[in-house]
Amino acid sequence: MNKLVKTQDVTYEYVRRDDDGNVENIVNAIEGINISIEEGQMVAIIGHNGSGKSTLAKHLNALLTPTEGTVWVDGIDTSNEEKVWDVRQKAGMVFQNPDNQIVGQVVEEDVGFGCENLGIKTEEIWERVADALKSVDMYEYRNASPNRLSGGQKQRVSIAGIIAMKPKCIILDEPTAMLDPRGRKEVINAIIRLNKEEKVTIILITHNMEEIIGADKIFVMDKGKLVMEGSPREVFGKVEELTEMGLTVPEATLIGKKLYDSGLPISLPVLTKEELVSEIGRARLSKFR
Amino acid sequence: MLRDITLGQYYNTKSVIHNLDPRTKILGTMVYMVSLFAFNSFWTYLIAFAALVTVIVLSKVPVRFMLRGMKAIFLFLIITVLYNLFLTQGDTIFSFWIFNVTIQGLKQAILMFFRLTFLVVGTSILTLTTTPSNLTDGLEALMYPLKLVKVPVAEIAMMMSIALRFIPVLTEETDKIMRAQKARCADFDSKNLFKRIKSYVPILVPLFISAFRRANDLATAMEARAYRGGDGRTKMKPLKYKAGDWIAYTSMLIYGIAALAITVLINFQIFMLKA
Repeated sequence: MNKLVKTQDVTYEYVRRDDDGNVENIVNAIEGINISIEEGQMVAIIGHNGSGKSTLAKHLNALLTPTEGTVWVDGIDTSNEEKVWDVRQKAGMVFQNPDNQIVGQVVEEDVGFGCENLGIKTEEIWERVADALKSVDMYEYRNASPNRLSGGQKQRVSIAGIIAMKPKCIILDEPTAMLDPRGRKEVINAIIRLNKEEKVTIILITHNMEEIIGADKIFVMDKGKLVMEGSPREVFGKVEELTEMGLTVPEATLIGKKLYDSGLPISLPVLTKEELVSEIGRARLSKFR
Repeated sequence: MLRDITLGQYYNTKSVIHNLDPRTKILGTMVYMVSLFAFNSFWTYLIAFAALVTVIVLSKVPVRFMLRGMKAIFLFLIITVLYNLFLTQGDTIFSFWIFNVTIQGLKQAILMFFRLTFLVVGTSILTLTTTPSNLTDGLEALMYPLKLVKVPVAEIAMMMSIALRFIPVLTEETDKIMRAQKARCADFDSKNLFKRIKSYVPILVPLFISAFRRANDLATAMEARAYRGGDGRTKMKPLKYKAGDWIAYTSMLIYGIAALAITVLINFQIFMLKA
């Protein structure tokens, strides 16, 4: 399959300066990152606060360019300044705070904003906006003011604004962090549907482990370095290591692990509630046999 | 409570005036304003009045909404009228104490009264029948020639439209901060004016900090969506003139010619009488 996003030894130095502009110290926000993401995948990047996951995300659509190393998006080197706008069209980005990324005064105007920037013809903008709003189930709100929407709805409008630009991948930087449980569910369902039905590559940065059980791949970041990578089953199998980094695991995984540790012979790791129930059932049966 | 402030004063209904292109409405308002200052005879004001009434009727906006704007300038209006009434030199009608009321003064006062009233009502029709975003679009299009002298017209329009978008967000935030400070015993209702002004500092500081943070976030989000200034942008809702706009422009022209013709005629008469 095609490698859509690839990074090689990416390091980003964050230079802190004092009031006189002298260099106080240099911190590597991320260091030696090598990842590759295939087209059509849904991958997740998890990590503690300050682990560098947002910094990495900003590299993937050229908002930041690496101090060392290279990032390729669909074959384009992001540090090539002439191609910056191509990169941003190919890799769209959704941010955490839904209020701070909506530009338009009406939902449809906001969704069209990216297309206007790309210089797309008026008629086509209208088509794209309608399709994008339908794909996140917000079409009936197209004439509403963003101020009247709930957090989850605003976030879906933001996603539609990116989809209208027809990107190859969407990077979502903690899109559900400021939402209530219902809004979270709406947004995550919209993301999963885009991945499954429209085959858009999704890069989801999150704190909430329940959201990424269905991901194809998980990257774990700690202190600016990539420390783990693998399928959810591989990553969540290492409960102790994750806990040491200050990360949680899905509830079912944790309960499964605890049960195993206290002597119940279930096969680890358990990812979902349903899996846990059937595993416990199986373990009890084998015990009584 | 702060959330109840409606944005601008747009009155939502469907009418021929609402349907006009914002450029037409802005230019029309300008023509009207100029005409009020350029012409000052009884007959031209009668025409101005007739034009105003026609537009009000066509706009379907209740008259009380138009008169709302009068409240703001009420004091100013009274002072202007009294100033002209008492302090204009000329043929005295009657006088008392130190005041002299003259014919010229009386005429001038009445003229000023109608001029200001027409001005306020006329401009409020523009804001009542045009949405803020439409108004920005119109202004952007009309300012377009300024691009030749390197004025960043598109960027200014973008700034205006973002400001409009964030007014409700920031009012909500102010509300929240106010409540938070009230919970910590801040007193916003002090009778002492100085104290009251001072009590708003703890609101403004966090509000500004958050506004800057929002601005920063928004700038990043806009850049991520490939915003690179006004060049090369297309429009999702381009402005297009319709038949109604040409009728409006023709009416404006007729109005201007009529007012001009009457002024010329009157001046000619005065000239003849003097001769």
